[in-house]
Amino acid sequence: MNTQFDTIVIGGGVVGSGIAYHLSERSQESILVIDRKYPLAGTSGSTQAWVWVHNKTPSWYAELNYYSAELYPYLSKKIGDVEYKRTGGLSPFFHEKDRVKAMKLAEAYKEIGIDIKVLSKEEVLEKEPFMNPDVEGATYSSIDGNVNPFRLIDMYMRAAKRKGVQYSTYNPVHDLQKINGGFIVATTKDTYRCKRLILAGGTWSRELGKMIDVHIPMNQVRGQILVSEPLKPFLNHTVSGLRQANNGEVLMGYSMENKGFNRSTTLNVMQETANMAIRYVPAIKKAKIVRAFSGIRAMPEDGFPIIGAVPNIENLYVAATHSGVTLSPLIGTLITELIIDKETSIPIERYGISRFA
Amino acid sequence: MDKSVIVCRCEEISYEEIEEVITQGGRTFDDIKRITRCGMGACQSKICSKLVAEVIHKQTELSMEQIYPPRFRMPISPVSLEALATDSQQFSTVKSVLDEIELTDGKVK
Amino acid sequence: MKADVLIIGAGPAGLTAAYEVAKTGLCVLIIDEHQQAGGQLWQQSQILALPDIFPNMRGFELAQFLVERLEGLAVEWLLGHRVIGVYEDGQIGVTNDKDVFPVFAEKIIIATGAAENAIPFPKWTLPGVMTIGAAQSVVNRDRVKPGSSAVIYGDNSFASDVCELLLSVEVNIVAIVKQNKQLGNSTFGDMNIPLYENSSIIEARGNGKLEEIDIQTPHGMITLKPDIVLIDGGQSPILDIVYQLDCALRYQAELGGWLPVYNHQLQTSKDHVYVTGNATGVSNHSALILTGMLAAASVCEALQSLPPEETEVVRNSLYSKLENEEESDTFSARKEHIKQFSTPQLKDQFIS
Repeated sequence: MNTQFDTIVIGGGVVGSGIAYHLSERSQESILVIDRKYPLAGTSGSTQAWVWVHNKTPSWYAELNYYSAELYPYLSKKIGDVEYKRTGGLSPFFHEKDRVKAMKLAEAYKEIGIDIKVLSKEEVLEKEPFMNPDVEGATYSSIDGNVNPFRLIDMYMRAAKRKGVQYSTYNPVHDLQKINGGFIVATTKDTYRCKRLILAGGTWSRELGKMIDVHIPMNQVRGQILVSEPLKPFLNHTVSGLRQANNGEVLMGYSMENKGFNRSTTLNVMQETANMAIRYVPAIKKAKIVRAFSGIRAMPEDGFPIIGAVPNIENLYVAATHSGVTLSPLIGTLITELIIDKETSIPIERYGISRFA
Repeated sequence: MDKSVIVCRCEEISYEEIEEVITQGGRTFDDIKRITRCGMGACQSKICSKLVAEVIHKQTELSMEQIYPPRFRMPISPVSLEALATDSQQFSTVKSVLDEIELTDGKVK
Repeated sequence: MKADVLIIGAGPAGLTAAYEVAKTGLCVLIIDEHQQAGGQLWQQSQILALPDIFPNMRGFELAQFLVERLEGLAVEWLLGHRVIGVYEDGQIGVTNDKDVFPVFAEKIIIATGAAENAIPFPKWTLPGVMTIGAAQSVVNRDRVKPGSSAVIYGDNSFASDVCELLLSVEVNIVAIVKQNKQLGNSTFGDMNIPLYENSSIIEARGNGKLEEIDIQTPHGMITLKPDIVLIDGGQSPILDIVYQLDCALRYQAELGGWLPVYNHQLQTSKDHVYVTGNATGVSNHSALILTGMLAAASVCEALQSLPPEETEVVRNSLYSKLENEEESDTFSARKEHIKQFSTPQLKDQFIS
């Protein structure tokens, strides 16, 4: 196999594959994506895959998510059906005191032009008839939805490969070195050279950065999710905590634990998740849970995406973030703009890695 | 064998679909599962995992001991949400989205 | 719930282990998903080859014997209960389909047995195609005739037991089809059943149910019209509980594929977890009993209800019995598996 590339992207998950695809759309240069396993083996394959804007704070971060969500309908047209559904997102609350918080959230979003409604109990029950009648209200945003993450990454890969992108999978990276005019990437299978290097290692970003003396303050957060047997369609929206997939399975979960790279599931959290699901939608209690899975989410130290060129190391870029599914089309577009146009269509300085310096 | 033969009965996935993922670079049962849904159905891969391992073995350089079994999932067999749930409404790790929003000076940050 | 020793699976190996542990005074808890203890034994009406400590018995008689001899011992039962997972602190989660609750034990013996493998062919999903085990349980448990004419398909050794069982409920056995390479007899046993060796089913056909099959034989293609095909694809150890307990695994083809690594004590890579029966590798009835006794002896030793010197004597004698009573290939594979205890091929399966 050829070992010289113009660009190497490390990480073939939703962020890395998204970048490779978007770059290949506009560039004839050679691109290699290297993955330690196979795309979807990590975070991207273990998510509820909400494309989610509302309740992200502060508002400037919500804005970033909003722009990315807006790219999804177009993305589906370009790479193929990724089962993107703009269902609208609903975050129910069960205590009247939360209404104040909800109102404040709507107010803050209004300033950036994102429309969030605070629904009354009756409005919630009208939108989701199976919701627990004890609900007090919910925040609602029409732009939220979900996507099939397996289809999304598979389609990204296929589209990228059609544009000439190569993938090297089951090929962990051991060492990175800056040399004159580029980089050396040493992996299990081979040693590669490239002009341009993009670090999209998700949860492994910290370890990857160390190889080239860049501090990427990335942590891991574990989320456990339950999956029901297929049920006839009854949930209309992406409810924060549960959604129904195209095949009728309901995915439920909203847990967060700091367990490093341990992706086991535990009955403790599964039971809590079951409690939450029944509390939201009591009618679901007879449904059978067929599996549970854990995802290790990438969580930058301050919670916000780390996107952009690395100062002082020419042609080195980082793209590492939580909410990779929501943000991937935008991050792919922005990194491509940075590389080709040398400037981005929206300002991203705020997300630069130098903020941690 | 005829490539249209079903390997995963639950999700009706054929040899052809499995071989295609291997052609794309997939090397484990779980790679194939994520892309085709093979093994994601009611039996949770109890019937098809060995058959898929044989396909991987035939199509790649991997020996059977290099082809790991699928990641097994809890619950080990299906259980109703009602049985799984406890009466407790104390949540230590499971949160709601609004719980995560912090107000500073009466305002969302 | 609490016990000294938790035994998961109430088949021959689990029940044997329960007896050996409980008779030393330890408190045993047995979990099985079925309402009746005995596991697959209830489906076995043939006379079993057992270690010399037992008289010859049929499967269901052995089940009854193994259950009855636990009477009066400190054994608690959770029948009709399933293990569904593990809590963060390592306690086992059990359900009766109304609730899920934790069970704590000093030691766990996994006796979850093996599951049947499939042999696919075009249209093997037609109703009428089933595993040999499914056919056995239809006859023995439900007293239902699975069909009127059968073809048995596979490479394994259950054929004669199953033929006998099927003939006893007047199922006509049209043929036995084996994939293995040697060419030998043209009929099976003394039952005059046509036997096709080095042959395979090329296709099944039928409208909503099995109607006919094509078989490729060394002498050309033949078409038969059974209404059931019984697949005998061998068995593999069931892994789901050992996997959730984070036990390390190795592949050992002769023992049925992937299985937990275990040492001379039948102890897995997790100190408190032991394995027994077909979970230690697919073998015969004698091995189920003997490995049940082996795991029990080691657990008793670890919990100090048996002195170490005595345990070593017991263990040595059990191993030499095992060597005599299981197939030599199986026994050597088992020895090799034990030797490779510290070099698993899959471990830390939950670390991303």
